[in-house]
Amino acid sequence: MVDSNQTDPAKGNGLPAFILGFVPGLLQWQLGQRQRAVMAFASCTAVLLVGWSIVGERLFYWGLAVPDGKSSFDSFARLGLPVLPEILNLPAQMFGALMSFDGSATGLRLQRLPRDFEHIAGWVTAASGMLAAFWAAAGHWDLRLRRDGHSDEADVAPSPVANPALCAGLSWLVPGLGHAKAGQKDKGAAMGAAVVIVFALGLYFSDGHAVDRAQYGVWWIGQNLFGGGSLFAALVTGPLRSVETPLDLDLGIVLCTVAGLMNLVVMCDAYTVAERTVFPLRSGGRDARGEGAAV
Amino acid sequence: MELFFRIAVFVPVLFLVAVVVVAQQHATAQETIKAAAGRTARWIIWSAVLLAAMTLLELLFIGW
Repeated sequence: MVDSNQTDPAKGNGLPAFILGFVPGLLQWQLGQRQRAVMAFASCTAVLLVGWSIVGERLFYWGLAVPDGKSSFDSFARLGLPVLPEILNLPAQMFGALMSFDGSATGLRLQRLPRDFEHIAGWVTAASGMLAAFWAAAGHWDLRLRRDGHSDEADVAPSPVANPALCAGLSWLVPGLGHAKAGQKDKGAAMGAAVVIVFALGLYFSDGHAVDRAQYGVWWIGQNLFGGGSLFAALVTGPLRSVETPLDLDLGIVLCTVAGLMNLVVMCDAYTVAERTVFPLRSGGRDARGEGAAV
Repeated sequence: MELFFRIAVFVPVLFLVAVVVVAQQHATAQETIKAAAGRTARWIIWSAVLLAAMTLLELLFIGW
């Protein structure tokens, strides 16, 4: 454990490191971890490619701005930049967008055409963006260790109870699993149950139609922050045929989105719990997180 | 009836959101749930204040 009096836990790695995080593996390359860098880039690109091979240019239609040749965001949208969370995997997303954009009437019509298996394929392309984010988080963690992780006694970087980026990634799929990995099992179970119950309530009130990227794309960005839930919806409830609009569809959509945003807090906390095992808060801090983190 | 239904959803969801929010300051589930109950009570009071303020504004600018 590093002496907390020498480290400011709130100090970040700076803007350049943040920007480098948009290219999977670049932070690892900068750190001299060549094999991990190649693995990060290849894994994110491969996952996007799998989803892209099914949805193709339809991804444009799921962005915050659609390239229609009229709006001021048109060139921005043509590069696939308003598509979240795929934008976090910047090079592959931009390359795919540049290769597949077709501004003709047929091309624009194809963007609106539903595809077979588009629910699961849309989840997979989004997963590539989330994967890129977790690789970036791992890079940031290694940068932090290199900067601050040397105690006075030994010149060896300390190791956390679990990799913080891995804890955040696990929490994305199963809320609370990252906390369990970091040593706070019961707290993780409480947080995970809270997220899952709110998400399940959302699906219940909407008859399963609240989580649908093709229908409610903007809401889906928030809902996808609970990756396990949006995967379940993509496989089970998303493809369900909608006969009539459920009475409480609006409530269901909001609840599923709130669950996703709650899981963002869970992911950040899982990262922090693991981080605090190496960099505890200064004595006298308000946070009691470090106490339970040690196993 | 619709209003009662919404309130019946709102209060438990508020508690679950509070669990996630206050968990960041605690290390165990027991502490978290205890703190979340208190936070939910405070949030319910604030929600009631907000509702009263909005109703008052509605009465002022739109009328009964």
